[in-house]
Amino acid sequence: MSVHHTDPSPGADRAWGWVAHLRGGGTTPWHAWAGGAEPTARVLPGAQQLELLRRINIAESSDEPHRGRSHLSTRLADRVVTAAAPGRGKPDLPLVGVGPSAYGPLPVDPSLLPADELIRVATSVLAEDVVALGVPAPARQLPRSWRRDVRVVGNPLEAAHLRAYVVGRRPPSRKRAAVLVVGGPLDQMLADVWSRRCFERGSGAWLEWLRFWQQRGELPPRIDLPAVAARQLESHRGVRVVLDSSALPELLRVRRIRPPTRPGADAAELARRIATVVGLLVPSEVRAALMTETLLPRMPATDTPPVALPDEHRAWVGAAAHRMARQLRCAGYPVVGDPDSVLPLESSGSGASVAQGAASSELVLELAVRMLVDQTWKATKTEGSR
Amino acid sequence: MTSTVPLETGVRRVLLHVGTPKTGTSYLQDVLFRNRDLLREHGILYPADRFDGHFLAALDLMRLTWGGLETEAVGAWDRLAAEVRDWPHTSIISHEILSTASPTQIDRALTSFGDGVEVHLILSVRDLVRQVPAEWQENVKHRSLVSYTHFLEMIRDPARDTRIGSWFWGAQEIPDILDRWGAILPPEQVHLVTVPRPGAAPDELWRRFSGTFGLDGIDLDLTPERANPSLGVPETALLRLINKRVTSVVAPPDYRPLVRELLAHQTLSRRTKSARLGLPPATHEWVQELSRTWADEIQKRGYDVVGDLADLIGQPATTFTDPDTAPASDLLPASLDAIKALLVEGSRLRESEARLVRELDETRVELELARRSPAEKTVQAMQTHRSGRAALTAYRRLRRR
Repeated sequence: MSVHHTDPSPGADRAWGWVAHLRGGGTTPWHAWAGGAEPTARVLPGAQQLELLRRINIAESSDEPHRGRSHLSTRLADRVVTAAAPGRGKPDLPLVGVGPSAYGPLPVDPSLLPADELIRVATSVLAEDVVALGVPAPARQLPRSWRRDVRVVGNPLEAAHLRAYVVGRRPPSRKRAAVLVVGGPLDQMLADVWSRRCFERGSGAWLEWLRFWQQRGELPPRIDLPAVAARQLESHRGVRVVLDSSALPELLRVRRIRPPTRPGADAAELARRIATVVGLLVPSEVRAALMTETLLPRMPATDTPPVALPDEHRAWVGAAAHRMARQLRCAGYPVVGDPDSVLPLESSGSGASVAQGAASSELVLELAVRMLVDQTWKATKTEGSR
Repeated sequence: MTSTVPLETGVRRVLLHVGTPKTGTSYLQDVLFRNRDLLREHGILYPADRFDGHFLAALDLMRLTWGGLETEAVGAWDRLAAEVRDWPHTSIISHEILSTASPTQIDRALTSFGDGVEVHLILSVRDLVRQVPAEWQENVKHRSLVSYTHFLEMIRDPARDTRIGSWFWGAQEIPDILDRWGAILPPEQVHLVTVPRPGAAPDELWRRFSGTFGLDGIDLDLTPERANPSLGVPETALLRLINKRVTSVVAPPDYRPLVRELLAHQTLSRRTKSARLGLPPATHEWVQELSRTWADEIQKRGYDVVGDLADLIGQPATTFTDPDTAPASDLLPASLDAIKALLVEGSRLRESEARLVRELDETRVELELARRSPAEKTVQAMQTHRSGRAALTAYRRLRRR
């Protein structure tokens, strides 16, 4: 298209100089920057994009001694400065001191931007990475027909983990298959189902999601164990609820079962935000596969504990757990383990890093920057058979 | 009215209408969509296969989430741009949320039309006296719990730190929208269509649109089928109270059809005799001053103005009904209408559910019949005839022996 050129605004050369500095791996904050340069694009990147790039450069330079910009880093820098900040947050913000403008959002000092604004940009780039990796081909398994047909449902995080132990068996046929409804303490099941949702099609934030179920007076369908069992009984004969994980190896006829890995609150929150952007890039069914099969197994481990139930939710969760225990005690199907095992654990398990049960934005940003800098996570192989 | 966009043939041209919201955009888009075949015969492409096609494209371009609708928007902008690139004449793109696009997104959009295309930016604008209350109503129709007073405080905060403040000015600050969208276009390719003042001829806005988009002389079907109707004061106040009760328990994909469409658009908007929302007197001076500044700025920039810049200086109503203090007695009639609408919808859904259950049962029976083993099929077939039953009896006696 034909372009109408206008004179650059005062201070723009300083901004373009900073852009060049950051694209070259520089870490100088905007307020300390003094150099200038010619424009290299039609549009000056927003403060969010530029500050994120500076944070990446800082992390990169502390990761290993700076030896000049690699080709990969230059490409990453270009992607970051042109990345759209998804969702309804702030618009791309102008840098303070670039030029007087009576209109538009107020210019900012990028070093003062809240972490959330930088996370928005980071998730845009990471979502593109996840989409580029694609959905892995299903692992080929030799059929192990001597094992029982079994269907595992219930707590989705545990069920998905246990399904890996039954891969290769004949597909469970209706009626003939045994059904194991796996569960545990309700507070942990809530944390698990939310964490799992973050790696499927996304979710509301942890506290907002908890409030949704509190106000509806219901439990998420997958962890309402009596309801799950009742549904399964309509089409299967051997339904049992398993609350004692030590019984699982025998029930699944395997020697031993490793405990499932629970994503930290920061990893789950970052995945939740990435899932939103992935949903803008691919159809819904592909999003779920990308999040579960591509991102989840590759997500870098962190020291942050999983999300925990905040104190204000203990009362309703406790009441729901007592109700569930009563229903399981009166159920006509076998329950492996003590029905009271669904009662919430006493300790919330949250530390300073997960105030109010959720990860702080700073922790989430730290993880996002780490994934942008150290891209070895992309090469991590997906979990295969055991 | 003569066309303000030159329409000589042989030039690839994109008429890009980017808002602002609440300026008759739904009506315009509806007319363009329903008449797209006729427009094509006149060399004008409106590239959409559903009425909200450009909304989805805008969501895709701007990576915006919209209560789950965004999942239908994957790749929509690239498809739209490809159609525009392939069309040798004039293409029209129109959606009001494009007004909030960032400079980077705008750059991507303009680049996506390819080389050698003449882009004309069209911005329809209305005075703030009507836009401010309309924007609050739109917020309420999108699950917001914010009171009118708080809304006004947020949009008057120069920091624009809140989501509401930031979105409002992104969609309504005319000089900024023109700065972002029109930065690389010559002023003669930027067209500002003003919404006429209250009391103007009913078709005046359409005449302005028609002239600007080069639609004069085309026999378009202008029957209004889709609009974004406004609500009265008690109706909006009621909707906000409903939001307080339901937003935490009704997910966005259910809220949109039940609350926004059924309650707001199809039920409450029909109550046209209630008080209309205006600006509180304390804001009149601020709004007038701001509007004058904008009108002066636009005048200086030399854009093509369709209508009158004086239209931007709205006249606040002399009376103001505060929605934040609407008495319960005012809300009652609207509440009863809302209950009635929900009960009718509930009955319809129950009927639909019963029909589905019947269909499911019939399918199950057919499935069971199809699953029968050959032996079962033989036995059941024999049981339908006397001779078959006799043969079965004989066979069973024989087996027992």
